[in-house]
Amino acid sequence: MIRVGIIGCGKVADKHIGQILRIQGCKIVGVCDQEELMAAQVAERFGIKSCFNDARDLLSACRPDVIHITTPPQSHYDLARQCLDAGCHVYVEKPFTLYSNEAEELVAIAEKTNKKVTVGHETQFMPVARDMRRLINDGYLGGPPVHMESIYCYDFADERYAKALLGDRQHWVRSLPGGLLHNIIDHGIGKIVEYLQGDEVTVVAHGFTSRFLETIGEHGIIDELRVIISDSKRITAYFTFSSQISPALHQFRVYGAKNSLVADHEHQTLLKVPGKTYKSYLNQFIPPFSNAKNYFDNGCRNIRRFLRKELHAESGMYFLMSLFYRSVAENTGVPIPYRDIVLTARIMENIFGQIGCQSPICAV
Amino acid sequence: MLDQQMDAMRQNWIVGKSDLLLITGANGFIGSKVVEILLEYGFTRLRCLVRSSRNLSELQQIADSSKAEVEFIQGNLLSRADCRRAARDASLIFHLAAGTGKSFAGCFMDSALATRNLLDAVLEGTHLKRFLSVSSLAVYSGLQIRPGDILDEKCPIETDHMSRYDAYCYGKIKQDEIVLTYGKEHGLPYVIVRPGVVYGPGKKSIPGRVGVDTFGIFLHLGGNNKIPVIFVDNCAEAIVRSGIVDGIDGEVVNAVDDDLPTSREFLRLYKENVHPFFSIDIPYPVFYHLNWLWEKYSKWSEGQLPPVFNRRNCAAYYQMQRYSNRKLKELTGWTPRVPFGEASRRYFEFMKNGGR
Repeated sequence: MIRVGIIGCGKVADKHIGQILRIQGCKIVGVCDQEELMAAQVAERFGIKSCFNDARDLLSACRPDVIHITTPPQSHYDLARQCLDAGCHVYVEKPFTLYSNEAEELVAIAEKTNKKVTVGHETQFMPVARDMRRLINDGYLGGPPVHMESIYCYDFADERYAKALLGDRQHWVRSLPGGLLHNIIDHGIGKIVEYLQGDEVTVVAHGFTSRFLETIGEHGIIDELRVIISDSKRITAYFTFSSQISPALHQFRVYGAKNSLVADHEHQTLLKVPGKTYKSYLNQFIPPFSNAKNYFDNGCRNIRRFLRKELHAESGMYFLMSLFYRSVAENTGVPIPYRDIVLTARIMENIFGQIGCQSPICAV
Repeated sequence: MLDQQMDAMRQNWIVGKSDLLLITGANGFIGSKVVEILLEYGFTRLRCLVRSSRNLSELQQIADSSKAEVEFIQGNLLSRADCRRAARDASLIFHLAAGTGKSFAGCFMDSALATRNLLDAVLEGTHLKRFLSVSSLAVYSGLQIRPGDILDEKCPIETDHMSRYDAYCYGKIKQDEIVLTYGKEHGLPYVIVRPGVVYGPGKKSIPGRVGVDTFGIFLHLGGNNKIPVIFVDNCAEAIVRSGIVDGIDGEVVNAVDDDLPTSREFLRLYKENVHPFFSIDIPYPVFYHLNWLWEKYSKWSEGQLPPVFNRRNCAAYYQMQRYSNRKLKELTGWTPRVPFGEASRRYFEFMKNGGR
């Protein structure tokens, strides 16, 4: 039985607990929040016996095997380090750390102490992302990707996300080195990093404040970002973050030498774009029907998944946690390679440096 | 209101005209009306705590229309420093700020934690004569009230929070618990007001007690039940009176209007006065059993569909009940200033103009 502890009892903790409770062979032994009432409300609602307002007390009293850190990112590094030092495996909500050197340090400590860490890049484990990964690994692209496009949008009309931030001048997101972008873009960057080769990449970034934010007096938040990334093997990628594109897209396109793939995370569809061409007007007749069949198949697959109760809103988190717990129980490889975690942090830091956020510019 | 009447009323108030009154959530739907009524009652020193400087124009207009000293403080009740700043020297606090949304943690933070912080700040001073906490009629447990019974202040409060799956309700229950605890342990003078469904110009949707349009079509769920509505002006006056009238510390009062419409009447009037639309009547027993099925599926599927539709919520909102405002009237002398006919006319006109 894996003994699990939670540090940070805000909104994200509920999502974690909801998925942990679905996983066989684990048990939540304690929760912790600096604010005792927050820890108590989670413990009360989920029937968890122990709650604390100091992480040290949780670690010593409950002796958890795995800790989930669901606090604001400013505390991720210190808490993760403390948990690793206490002999725990650690699942850190995204973003992993504020700075890439902190990410490197945590990974080094984990390797040295033979403990495991992972980061909450759950969108990479949604059904559509897993389907895409399988096809790419099976060689559908005809080799490594030639180019990728990751589009990640944020909808300021969605009160769940925007009201808390825009309504609060002291919101913790504002004090992140990369501001709003820091709390979101690793979902989109992480997808690209998975298919980049090597650790050396070039990043060109352009960011600005949208007219919408300017009109409401929010001049300090950068909510539009365009990035070009290329690695040493000349695999390239565009990353787009926008709060103004409608609908709010969450797409990942991978272009190969032979075929291409388009994953739509919002609708959980994966469109195969075959490199095959047809003669004359058939090239305008056949592919549209082929695409229609492709979408029809996707719809059927989603319905089948729903009927098999595999289409949970948090199914990516469930899958990532299951893989992480398995890696802990069986001492096998972690679901997200450490190289991906560190490279994602380095690329993000580089972006923030270029667009004038507060973080130091680091050579990538 | 006549000056003579007002002078007579003032004899029974716990605060003077020039005492400092704090209103949290002052730029909200009810908060701005509370400010308006306090000014109408002749109070001259108001402090309005607002979370954001946006959407202040209406409140600013209300303040500008009077000679009173109205101070605006921008702050967050999750910040203890902001709470201290807001509560300093206040004689009476009208606490309307609350958590809304679907997140339990979010509602808990913005309702319960915020209240705890504010009360801690209050305890640092010695001026407070009353803490008026605005709760909700939603906190009662529908399943523990028999159909047709009167829902009053003695009815049991919801205890099974995860089955009820109503984050707003949870936040309010925890807020009430904190106020009661501070009353008991620290001698905090408090009154809790639990309004029904507040409606009026500014509210841009049909009250949920009438029905829901979750599935793209309006399901009329209230049937012939009386719905516990209260017009925003009436609600604000109930809150103000509960805050200022002497001799009612430690009381909890429910606030609904006198002439409650049935759900069917309300829906018919809405269709006649705003715009017609298609709706389907779902009888309570049918909806209750659909909720039971939804709960079963939610459990079986491990939350693939969260249990937003469940029997506890169904009973709390759509079971036939009667509602009482007797205690509020007896304790505070409140009567609804706007009858349903006029109130609904103003609300429907607002809705017909596209919520402007």
